[in-house]
Formats: sequence, structure tokens, C-alpha cells
Amino acid sequence: MSQSTLAIRRISAHAGAAPGENVERDELVCKLIDTTTCIGCKACEVACLEWNGYTFTETVFDNSYQTMPETTWNYWNLIKFNEHEREDGSITLLMRKDQCMHCADPGCLAACPADGAIVQYTNGIVDFQQQNCIGCGYCVSGCPFDIPKFNPTTKKMFKCTLCVDRVSEGLEPACIKSCPTGCLHFGTKDDMKDLAETRAKQLRENYGIEKAGVYDPAGVNGTGVIYVLHDITNPEAYGGLPKNPHVPWVVRIWKGPAKWIGNLAMLGGLLGVTLHYLRYGPKEIDAEKHEGEKP
Amino acid sequence: MSTTHVISSRRPVGESGGRIVRYTLSERVHHWLGALFYIYCLITGLAFWSPYMYWLAAIVGGGPTARFWHPWFGLAFTVSMVWMYKMWDRDMRITEPDRRWSKAMEYYVKNEDEKLPPVGRFNYGQKLFFWLMLYGVILLVISGLGLWFVESIPWSLRWLRYIAVTVHVIAALATIGGFIIHVYMSTAMVRGGFAAMVRGEVSAIWAKTHHRLWYEQVTKDTRDSAQGR
Amino acid sequence: MTNGWIDIKNTDMMLIMGGNPAENHPCGFKWAIEAKRTRNAKMIVVDPRFTRTAATSDLFCQIRAGADIAFLGGVVRYAIENNRIAKDYLINYTNAAFIVKEGFQLPEDGLYSGFDAGTQTYDKSTWNYEEGGDKSGEAATAAPARGHTGGATAANANAASTGGSAASQGQQPGSGSGPGLTGQGYTGMGAGGAKAMEPTKSAPTLPGKVAYDLTLQHPRCVFQLLKQQYSRYTPEMVERITGVPKDQFLKAADTFTSVRKDGDMKKVGTIMYAVGWTQHSFGTQIIRTAAILQLMLGNIGRAGGGVNALRGHSNIQGATDMGGVFDIWPGYLKAPNPTDTDLATYLKRVTPTTSKPEHWDSFNYWSNTPKFTVSFLKALYGDAATKENDWAFNYMPKVDRNYSWTQIWDAMYRGNVKGMFAFGMNGVAIGPDSQKNIDALKKAEFLVVGEIYPDETSEFWKSPGVTPDEMKTINTTVYRLPCAGFAEKDGSMTNSARWLQWKNVAVPPPGDCRLDQDIVAQIFLKVRDLYQSEGGKFPDPILKLTWAYTNTLHPALGDLAKELNGKALADLTDPKTQITIKRGQQLPGFAWLKDDGTTSCGNWIYSGCWTEAGNQMIRRGTEDPAGQGIYQNWAWSWPANRRVLYNRASCDPSGKPWDPTRKQVWWNESAQLWQGNDIPDFKPDSNPKDHMGPFIMNPEGVGRIFGPLAAFADGPFPEHYEPIESPVQNPLHPNQSNNPVVKKFKTAADKYATPGDGFNIICTTYRMVEHYHYWTKNNPMNVQLVPEAFVEIPVELAQELGIKGNDKVKVTSARSFYIAKAFVTKRIRPMTIDGKKVYQIGIPIHQGYRGIQEDADRNARTIANRLSPTVTDPNAYTPEFKGFLVKLEKA
Repeated sequence: MSQSTLAIRRISAHAGAAPGENVERDELVCKLIDTTTCIGCKACEVACLEWNGYTFTETVFDNSYQTMPETTWNYWNLIKFNEHEREDGSITLLMRKDQCMHCADPGCLAACPADGAIVQYTNGIVDFQQQNCIGCGYCVSGCPFDIPKFNPTTKKMFKCTLCVDRVSEGLEPACIKSCPTGCLHFGTKDDMKDLAETRAKQLRENYGIEKAGVYDPAGVNGTGVIYVLHDITNPEAYGGLPKNPHVPWVVRIWKGPAKWIGNLAMLGGLLGVTLHYLRYGPKEIDAEKHEGEKP
Repeated sequence: MSTTHVISSRRPVGESGGRIVRYTLSERVHHWLGALFYIYCLITGLAFWSPYMYWLAAIVGGGPTARFWHPWFGLAFTVSMVWMYKMWDRDMRITEPDRRWSKAMEYYVKNEDEKLPPVGRFNYGQKLFFWLMLYGVILLVISGLGLWFVESIPWSLRWLRYIAVTVHVIAALATIGGFIIHVYMSTAMVRGGFAAMVRGEVSAIWAKTHHRLWYEQVTKDTRDSAQGR
Repeated sequence: MTNGWIDIKNTDMMLIMGGNPAENHPCGFKWAIEAKRTRNAKMIVVDPRFTRTAATSDLFCQIRAGADIAFLGGVVRYAIENNRIAKDYLINYTNAAFIVKEGFQLPEDGLYSGFDAGTQTYDKSTWNYEEGGDKSGEAATAAPARGHTGGATAANANAASTGGSAASQGQQPGSGSGPGLTGQGYTGMGAGGAKAMEPTKSAPTLPGKVAYDLTLQHPRCVFQLLKQQYSRYTPEMVERITGVPKDQFLKAADTFTSVRKDGDMKKVGTIMYAVGWTQHSFGTQIIRTAAILQLMLGNIGRAGGGVNALRGHSNIQGATDMGGVFDIWPGYLKAPNPTDTDLATYLKRVTPTTSKPEHWDSFNYWSNTPKFTVSFLKALYGDAATKENDWAFNYMPKVDRNYSWTQIWDAMYRGNVKGMFAFGMNGVAIGPDSQKNIDALKKAEFLVVGEIYPDETSEFWKSPGVTPDEMKTINTTVYRLPCAGFAEKDGSMTNSARWLQWKNVAVPPPGDCRLDQDIVAQIFLKVRDLYQSEGGKFPDPILKLTWAYTNTLHPALGDLAKELNGKALADLTDPKTQITIKRGQQLPGFAWLKDDGTTSCGNWIYSGCWTEAGNQMIRRGTEDPAGQGIYQNWAWSWPANRRVLYNRASCDPSGKPWDPTRKQVWWNESAQLWQGNDIPDFKPDSNPKDHMGPFIMNPEGVGRIFGPLAAFADGPFPEHYEPIESPVQNPLHPNQSNNPVVKKFKTAADKYATPGDGFNIICTTYRMVEHYHYWTKNNPMNVQLVPEAFVEIPVELAQELGIKGNDKVKVTSARSFYIAKAFVTKRIRPMTIDGKKVYQIGIPIHQGYRGIQEDADRNARTIANRLSPTVTDPNAYTPEFKGFLVKLEKA
């Protein structure tokens, strides 16, 4: 999003090392979303729009409190509502703020073919750099959370920036700022993890919510957005939060071994034909050689 | 020798030492259009393939431009392949002589062509390349549409996204392999081949050497027509 | 609120009922979450729908709309049966030990003693304490029995009691004020009461010395009556009436009363409610039940306790404080009626006298009523208010009948009100029975609307159903005055916690928009000019009104705030402290007010908001030394900047805090003073030995479990009555199903349904977090969050009717219909009420026929309140917006 002053740890499709790699250490930042205290007020949705300068999107009522089915290129923060039937038959309303998870191992960045279109700062924020984005949509395939979205007008991909422009100036993200109940927290990953674990423990011990736990999926080496869930065994109930998210193995192979196998194969092909030429040379037709002499 | 450069018809010009029309203008135009589209897709595709080749995008106008035109050129290539299919479908069918030739392909590679059985207008390798490109482009266009409109594939069917990536990569690599051999053979290895695709003509002896059955067919046809049969 | 928003963080237990704070008070709700996070507080939510508040709760009960008294009465019974009672508190701080007059009868057949069926009113003479002394050990001669005595019509009973009860915080956005503060003298005038007041000869008064039994054994003591009253509210009966299964109810009752387990006084529970309680034909009595429960549990006056009314608008508390209701003056002074022929008569009628056990003490703060009244009149008429002319008392209008919200519209509908000024509200959309209001406006001669958007009221002729031909016949002249929005005005707003918070102007009003006070001032000055030049029948009240603002055409709100705070009109000296205030100086607080014309004060409860030290409301100090969220230096809280009312009750009778970890105030023996982290709501030097009651606004000095005499129109104890439109007959007394003193309106527009007519689905209306009333449908940000009108329908009902999510449906009541999309939800479940399967549906009120979506024709353009009936609570005159009957079909 912004040309920020933060040091960069990882750069998409970059031939060579990232400038911040192993050079600068920074505290990882993290957003904690306590779904047990979320009231679904959507203040974060509006704050996100207003801070990022987006305005009105026409929406349609769809048998839900949910504003729209999924996040869009200009609606990065969406509370997902689910009327969930508990095991004892009672009903509850699960509400989860959906946005980019800022994975430690970002699938989008791995999939991206454009040099510098996706960067990961040393504080862990994964950010799209639209000036480098080519709009290919590979990040969509790379993301285990279905977050990056395509703007058909500018042909660029967009998603939550974790308000990198605010964070780099020492402010909390806009959604955090707007949350009225304190269900959203922002701080270092370590602090947020502690806070989340403390809260989950409180829920288990004092409120009898035995399955309460913290969602910080190991499949992507943890995320820069973590959740406290009433039922950590069923994250899918929270508007489709994947149980064990990881960068799709196809993307891993594609951007890993396949790339080198492919490159080697292509190189091998070129080498092969060259060697062939050196060894056997061109097909010459004897008759043709003498053609000029005959008539 | 005197040759005529009227190439709008298959016109034999003598038994040997004459020139034979190998590719009509239409065939050549389509070949080169296809080549243009393919090479564009190749360059841009390679740019997206590897960071070490991303600079290739710069030579065709930069990343976003490359990304914008890649699928359109891909579609154009598909159309040109369909056209070539219509043009060459009959010529490209694998025949009995091809099978015989394929068994002796080793001699072809070693430039011991005299040990090869005669073949028609296209040899077995050329035909393979044609079918490779044809099936390749079908896979590429289908998977390419998946990549192009990736957001239209619902999250619940996201495995389709991954299949699209896989298929596109494999199909592309396969066509690249074919393409390398094709270019090598038509330019460096088989002398006269490139000129044939440019000017449309080959010498009779070239035809006789590389595509004897075709040569015989063409010359026979010409004689027949000359004799009013 | 008896307490305040931040104070909720101090609680151990929350009962949220008749309110949906997560959605309608999301910022305040953070303190409920805070209590959960930091104190492991439990939260019980009781609501007709599983709301977003319920999503954060620990226990949810789905209740039938309008069955709240039965539920709470059941909890009262449970607390008594299981001895979950704060006994010392109950005996010393409530009237539980007071003995009620012989002849008083409980409503076992649905009627209290003294009912007159002809006028639908009560003779409340038996609703009184017995005069006498200690009656402990005495046998009762007459236990209250079933049935009722006939009695004389008792309109205009002497209002011996005013305010002060725990439930006294107003609660009704849009109309009404706190129960106990309004309605006295007009209790016979519920609905359709457009008749003159009958003068009363000798209204009964409370006895000066009340008979009592501190052992609580006397069969006519309040506690025994209470026990008897709610003995009928068994868990089985609660289930029959409310639809809450017995085991769920018992779990909720057990959880809530667990704060008083084994009589331990340390823990505290709070009750939060909003218009889900007030908007019933027995709304005041629901709040009363909550107050009774909280008094029994000893939760009032304590940090983390109280009965907390969550106000729906940013300044509705301020509106009621300022007398924005017909029967009160600013500061909850009672408005005079035609029997008050002079000031002395009026003051005698409205100033309560002490009524208590002989050896107890009572501050009876309302005994200062003359000081507040004279100072108020001095603020209005300045030098024109003299001792000789009764301080201009006769300039003030006398309220001769009920002028409440629904009465105004009814009068216009009948052609008696010719014109209307509508500022800061959307009368047509507010309803009830929007169609009646629209039809009323068609008959009006003029309508002046001050608004920031064109709204349903200012374009009432655009309502669906009005044909172009009909439009031509409407002769109402409509004046639309563009006003300023909240960010374009300065001034203070009073929140639910009674804080007056001053705000500055963020941006100037755009274009021709003007500030409301400028418009009102300029109209007033024009009217005054007309009286000046043309005279009139009685011009003095207009001509002599003080208008001492710096800029008379544009009165600054600072000037007005200073006027409300009050100033000295002569040099004043406090005889005790010898502190002197010079003539013309701002008063430090209402303790300085005098009834001799030497002080002026526009609203006594706001006295202290703008002192010589300046604007106290603009303060933003964040010091909180006690860590209890008191924030004494943040804004200014009425009364006297104290944050928790009745905080004397946070200590035991000897003056020690019940919970030493949450010390609010305490008796300092050495200083012989009450001190505290909060400002003591008490006589500062009253030694606990004197046994002064903590509820200083009641003449008894104690909290009222029994509401004597004219305190309430419909009974001294709350009784469950069915909503006017109910799917069942009252299981307690089927022959007296509804509230007996509630009158239906009688115009052609006023139709009321019965299940027999096919109206058998309960409909309730509500607000959503995404919208603010009727005007955010003009704001794109809000519109995209909830773009369309919908009706929440239980899955089972939808299946029965073949309705799928997003289908267009039509809801029909006896009055009109409403069109919206179906929201088929699992969050409302079918209920069994008195053995009958009953469905409830819910409608958000926000949509109408003016707004972004409406103007683009993307919404059905019907107003939710077309469905609601015109019928009101007999005490606060709040319409019954919740729990009426409808039909539902696919549209």
C-alpha cells in the first residue's frame, strides 16, 4: 500500500536477497481478535473504509447481518456471521472479523511472480505494493484464507495492509482504534499471544468453555492476526476459518522444485540441441550442394 | 535455373533442380501468426515463471502490460492453432510410413537420413510437435482461463485453482520443450526448412530427401494434371 | 442509570433484559465486557431474540415479549424461597418492615383494592402505610385477601411521593420520563384522557409515623405482602407465561441471586434495561420489579449494582432532565395543575412531608421543593418574579390534562391540534401507528420541521398509499427548516450515566442551515414583538420572560448553561461555613438555592455544571485514584457531580462499606463526616446512629418495595398483565388479562387485534447497531451495512408458511401492513405459552420512505410503526411498541 519506511524482510519474485533479511530485527506486530467479546457492530468495517478512503459499495440483504458474502478489493474487513447450533441444541451467533491474516509464511508472497509486488516487513506485516503488482491473481491461489481481491479497474490486487501506514507511525490499525468493546487488541506478537492464552484460560477455567483456545495456525508459521475462539476444534464454524491452513502444496511445488526442474529442463533442452548440433551438425543434402553445378 | 515465384498453387517445376511449393501463403501467415502469439506468451510466461526471467517482461512493456496481454495472446494463439488444425488436420494424421519412420528415428537424429524410410509431407516428429502444440494449447487455454478468472472459482472449489496452476505449468513446459526442438530443427538443423516457411518453396531435391512420399505425390499430381488425366 | 456506564466494570453479575446494549449501546457495552474480562462477571441475557448481546452472554433465555414482570416476579419469589436476601439492607434501607393499611388487597383476581371499573382508575386510599409504632409480635387482624373493594374515583391523588425510588431514572427515548417522577395526579388519564382534571378535596397523605415490624413477620408488613404477591409466580407459572422452560428459568434465577448466596454482602449484581421494558402498557411496573429485586438483594447504591436505564439517544436523558415532558418542569419538579390556584397551594401539594418509623431519620430532600421552584421561576422571569406576584407562578401554564406524545397525535387526528413544530424527531416514523400520524398531519393547517434531511414527517404525503389525487386534497402547509447536525453545534449532552459532557463545534453548519436555538429564539422574539404591538389576552408570560443572552438572536448555549446552573441575586452567606457568594456570581450547587428570591436556577439538578470556576462539563480529567472508574474530574454528573446514586447504601448501617475492596463512601467517625471516593449522596454529617435512610429522595428515606398511594397508577406492587394484544389470556387471572387502568384510544384509526381475528404472531420492534433511528438511511456508510428492510422470522414459522430467506413478506396488524424481505433465522425459536405454540417475529424500525435506498426504489418504503398500536403505559405514557399481534404472509 504505502511506500513505508519499514525495513523489508521478504520480497515477492525477487532475484536476490531482501534488504532487511537478516539485517534488521524488529518486534513482530500482531492483531488479537477475541471472538468471545465481539458484538458484530461493524465499527471496524467502517473504520477500515474511512481510513483507506473507500466509500459506498452497493450491497444486497442476504438473509444475514453480514454486510456482504466476502471481502472485496475495496472492503478489506468483514465480520462473518454464523448462526451456529451448539452440540446441546442451543443457538449461538458466532461473529468473526475476517481480513488478511498476515501469515508469517505468506502464500500470496510465495505465489507472486512480480518483483516487489508483495513484501513482508520485518515487523511481519505482509503488504501489497500496487505499483509493482501486475494483477495476475497468483496470490489468490497462494492464499489459504481467500483474501487477495482484484480491482478490475486498476487491474491490481488489494487486501488489508494492517494499516502499515499507521503502524509505521506508531499508531494502531484503524479497526483496533474503532473497536468499542475492546475485542480487538494490537501489540507485539508475544504480548498478544500471552493475552490470548490468558483469555482462553480464563474462558476455560472461569466460564466453563472447555474448548476455548487460540487460533495461530502453525501451517503458515503463525499469523499476524490471531483469534480467541470459543471452540478451537471447529474454526470452520466461524465463517469458514480453515482448520489447518497452509500454503497450498501446489503453490509450494510450483514455486519451489517445479521452478528448478522446469528451468533445468528448459536449459537441458537448449543444451541438448546445441550438443546435437555440435555433434551431428545440420542435415545437408548432397544433391543440393551440387545443384548449382548441374545445369 | 529459372524458378517462378508464383506460389499460390502447388505447382511442380520439374523433376529435380526445380522448386516445389511447400507452404502456401495462408499456411505461412498462420504459422507465423501462431509463432508470434506463442513467442509472446512464452516471453511473458517465462517472466511470470521465474524471478530470474522477470526482466523479460520489460522487453514487452513491463509486468502489468505483459500480464494484460498474455491471456489475450494466449487466446489468439488458441485461435491460430484451431486454424492450423483445420488446415493441417489431414496432413498431420499419423500414418503407417510414420510408424515405420519412428522406429528408425535414431538415424534421423544421427543425420543418417539415408537409412530412413520415406515419409509424407510431414515426418513423424513434425506431426508429434503439431499434436503436442494442439493438445498443449487446449490445456493451456482451459487452465489459463482458470488462472485468468481465478476469483470466479468459488472458495469451496479451490482445488480447481490448484489444478489450473499445475496444468498450465506442465502444459507450458511441454510446449516449450517441443518449441525448442522445433526451432532448432527448422533453423539450424534442417537447412532449408526455415526458408521454406518464409518463402514457401523448397527445392525438389530437398523434398525428395526429406519428404519423399510427399515429393512423389506432388510430382505425380503435377504430371497427371499436365497430361490431362 | 442509578450508577453509570463505567461503573458496570465493577459488577459481578449482569442481568440484561429489555435491552440490547451490544447493538444499541456498543460503546457503553465495553464496560460489561470489562467486568467479564477482569472480574469473571457473569452475564444473563433475557430477550425475545438471540441478539448480539446474547452472543457474548453466559446464559440466554428466550422470553415472550411482554412477559418480563412474570420472569422477574419469579426471580423475586426464588430469592425469598432460597433466602437469597440482603437482610440488613432490606430491613434498614427499604420499606420491607413498614406495615400497610388494613383493607389493602393484592391482585389475586388481577385488581388491587379500590378499583373503579367505570373510570378504570383506582382509589388508592388503602395503598398506604399504617400509622403507628413498632408492631413486631402483634398478630395481624386482617391479612390481605383476594378481591377488591369498590371506591371513589381517585383522580389527582396527592402526590406525596416524588422521584427517588431506585427506578427513578427516566428511560424512554422519545417520550416519558422516569417512573415515580411523572404521572402523579394524572393517573386516571392514561389513554383517551382528554378531559379536565377533577379537583381533589382531601387527598390522602402518607402518615408521619409509620407502623413497622423489624422482624418482618407481621402479615401486613411490606415483606410479607411481597412474599404473598409473588408466591403465585412459581417456576411453572413463569414457564406458562414467559415461555422460558422451567429449568432454564431456575438456572437464571439461581445465577442472578447467587450474589447473595448465604447472605454474603460482598458481591454485587446489576440490571440493565432499555426500551424493551419501557415500551409496554405496564413498562413502569417492569422497572419497578427490577428495583424491588435489587433492593431485596441489596444491590442499589453500590458500585457494580443498580438499576440501569440505557438511554437510546445521546441526549434523551438531558431532554427529560430539562422537562421535555408535559407534566414536569426542569429538574423533575411537578408541573402545576388547575387546582394549584396559587404558589402556596401548589407547593403544599407537591412538597412531600417525612413519613417514617418514629426513631428513624429521613432527609426527605424533596422538602426543598420550594427553593427549587422559586429559583426556577426567578430564572424564567427575573425581576418580574416578585414575592408579591407569587414569583410569577401564575405566568406558568397549568396542565389540565394529558398532553403526552400519543395524545398530541390523537388530538391532531381529531382535528383539535392545528399545527406542529417538529424538531429533532421524526414523528411519523416514531409512531405508534404511523398511518394515524400521517392522517393526522393531513388534517393539520401547518407543520414546521427542523431537520438535517428531508424525512418521513416533512414529506408525509409521500407515504406509500397516498395517491396523486389525494395529495391534491392535502392542505397542510409544510415549512422545512434546515437545521444543524450534532457536529455543527456546541453544548452539552447528558448521557445515561447522568454526565453532562460539553462538546465543541467540529464544523460550521452548511449553507442556510441554522442552529436550533437560533430558530427558536428568533420565532420567540417575533412572537414577543407581536404581543408588544398588538397586545393579547395575557401577554405578560411572553413579554416578561427574561432573555438576557449576549446575542438575543443567537443565544449561546454557554449562556443557557450558566442560566441553568443558577446565580446569586443577592450576596449570600452560608451560616455554617461563612462562605460568601457575591450578587451575580454563579452558584456552586443546589445546596445554595433559596426560596426567598435571592437565587435563580433554571434546573436545580444541573446546578454546579457551570460555576464561578467555569464550565465543569468540559473537564476531561482522567484521574481515578480508587480505580473504580469514578473519574470525578471527567465532565460533570448530576446531582452534585456524584457518580453512583444512593451510595450511602454501599455501607452497612454502621457506615462501613459492605465490600471493603469497592469502597465508595464511608462514615469517618473522627471527622464525624461522610467521606468517599465518590461524593456521598447523603447528608454529610448524619451519624449512622441517627439511622437516616439512604434513599434521601423518598420521604420515607428508604427504598420502596411497596409503592404507596399515587406513586403508580396501576398498583403498589407490579403484577403481570398481558400486552393489549396478546395471543393468550393472562394465566394468572384470565378475567383481568390486561392492565386494568390502561385505556384504548377510540378514533377510527385505533384498532386492536385478538388472536381470534387471525392475528396470532407476536411482533416486536427493535433497533440495530448498524443504524441510528430513521436518519442514517441517508448515510452511505450505514446504508451499505444494512441496505434493506427485513423481518426476522423463526425457521419453523417460515417453513410452515413456505417462506424462504430473502423472500418478500407482508406483515399485517389490525392497523396496517409492512413489506420487507424475510430473514429466516434460528435465533428466534417457537415458544409454548400457556400450552399454546406461539411464534415471535422481529422488525428493525429503521426503514421508511426517505433515504438513499428508498429514493432509489430499492426498499419497500413502509414504516415499521405502521403496525404498532396506540396504547400507552399509564405512568410514563410510553407506547407499547413491543409485543403486538400480526399476521405474516408471502408478499
